Amino acid sequence: MAERGGGDRGGFGRGFGRGRGDRGRGDRGRGRGRGGRRGGRRDEEEKWVPVTKLGRLVKEGKITSLEQIYLHSLPVKEHQIIDTLLGGRLKDEVMKIMPVQKQTRAGQRTRFKAFVVVGDTDGHVGLGVKCAKEVATAIRGAIILAKLSVIPVRRGYWGNKIGKPHTVPCKITGKCGSVTVRMVPAPRGAGIVAARVPKKVLQFAGIEDVFTSSRGSTKTLGNFVKATFECLMKTYGFLTPDFWTETRFNKSPFQEYTDLLSKPTKAILIENTES
Amino acid sequence: MATRVLSQKEEDIQMMLSAAVHLGARNCDFQMERYVYKRRSDGVHIINLGKTWEKLQLAARVIVAIENPQDIIVQSARPYGQRAVLNFAQYTGAYSIAGRHTPGTFTNQLQTSFSEPRLLILTDPRTDHQPIKESALGNIPTIAFCDTDSPMRYVDIGIPANNKGKLSIGCLFWLLARMVLQMRGTIPLGRKWEVMVDLFFYRDPEEAKEQEEEEAPVAPDYGAMVPNDQWTTEQWMPDGGAVSAVEPPVTGVESTAGQAPVGAERWDAAAAPPMVAGAVAPGVPPVAAPSGWE
Repeated sequence: MAERGGGDRGGFGRGFGRGRGDRGRGDRGRGRGRGGRRGGRRDEEEKWVPVTKLGRLVKEGKITSLEQIYLHSLPVKEHQIIDTLLGGRLKDEVMKIMPVQKQTRAGQRTRFKAFVVVGDTDGHVGLGVKCAKEVATAIRGAIILAKLSVIPVRRGYWGNKIGKPHTVPCKITGKCGSVTVRMVPAPRGAGIVAARVPKKVLQFAGIEDVFTSSRGSTKTLGNFVKATFECLMKTYGFLTPDFWTETRFNKSPFQEYTDLLSKPTKAILIENTES
Repeated sequence: MATRVLSQKEEDIQMMLSAAVHLGARNCDFQMERYVYKRRSDGVHIINLGKTWEKLQLAARVIVAIENPQDIIVQSARPYGQRAVLNFAQYTGAYSIAGRHTPGTFTNQLQTSFSEPRLLILTDPRTDHQPIKESALGNIPTIAFCDTDSPMRYVDIGIPANNKGKLSIGCLFWLLARMVLQMRGTIPLGRKWEVMVDLFFYRDPEEAKEQEEEEAPVAPDYGAMVPNDQWTTEQWMPDGGAVSAVEPPVTGVESTAGQAPVGAERWDAAAAPPMVAGAVAPGVPPVAAPSGWE
């Protein structure tokens, strides 16, 4: 689980390039996300042709939960994977649209940077940052990147282990730029004690009670939000005594389903390149 | 001077010695120190071939454990390894990449050459550093032939060997291929493999051209030597296509008076038929073949 961050880090936060590689499905028909998704165009949703092995397995339904992907630290390259696995439970929210400018000899060239947080409020969050010339494109791209960067969040108890886990398992801190965010377990009923920005992220993560403390230039929303995200990533990286037992290794899904994967998909690929 | 019968391992090590697999580089990476026997007076490190052989076995076991051989990629950017890599892939069913590795082949899903292998085999971690970097991002285990000065970062199984000489690289890939096929059961243990090591050696383009030129004059000899009544068609057939054959078929055919300016070449067929019809398979490059390779 600790490795997942490494494989994913490349995807989020750097913006350009990857998000653009939408497989030609055209307009996603999604409006600006203030929570939830609009209806979307049904037939376009079905046409996903997976390119990666993982994509194929998910489409076939061999992989039923994100946890299997996390267990083997498999890099997720197609956002439809997350869509299929987390489906309707995923909500997105645009945290900020930031205009950024570059100076050219003919004036300034403005682009818009969108920060989108995505999550089911039950242990999975994702953060996507994308810059594009139009706001809508940026938001779309950021949503895709956010989905690619979905991370599991570990929740624990403050005191007695009654009921479901509701808070962070231990004190953890995340840092990005000058901003450090520290999360401290809180008793039930405390609620999320945090600033507006990290509060949103923590709500999407499904953490009910937590005390936070931050330092540094939290005005820079980009860094602030990335710092809380990094903090949440670390929840599963922390070795607590319940992890002391020896791991029983499972076969990687690529090994298990190797026969299925070795079947050629040439026909589909040719069709795809023509269209 | 072992006159007793050598075990498979000892024979292999003899072959490796003659191919100079044991000669490392003048520098030694700290992680390769465990495989080095000693440093010679002229600075060259000597690799312990026993360990090389064991690492080869380990690598072969890993290769065999991959159910679908197409998921294995063997790669060589260097020209010395390209022929070996192509032949290795041919015999084990893997996929080979010879020459430049386009960055992004393992990571960029939009590329046409995108592939997600389950195992990667490389000839040199230094020149093939790009695939190593990418396999690290894609959870792909890596096997590589490492010289004493090779960086071992992200290499999961490092086989200590000389990866600078063409004989050495060819020999190693041949041994690895043979081990894999033996473990799979395609070749029975104990018996020699009909494919010759020479097939895996790098040929200079000029050398290859010379070879082909030698083959040409030999072909007309066939016509000259063979009076119709002496030879039956069955004896004739196996030889017929042999000019460009890569593997020398061992025919029992004896030619009459030494047909063979070519027959005097240095390759040895295993069971030493007296004088094989010389035109058979000059596809073997004239190797400065040290003896001891029967």
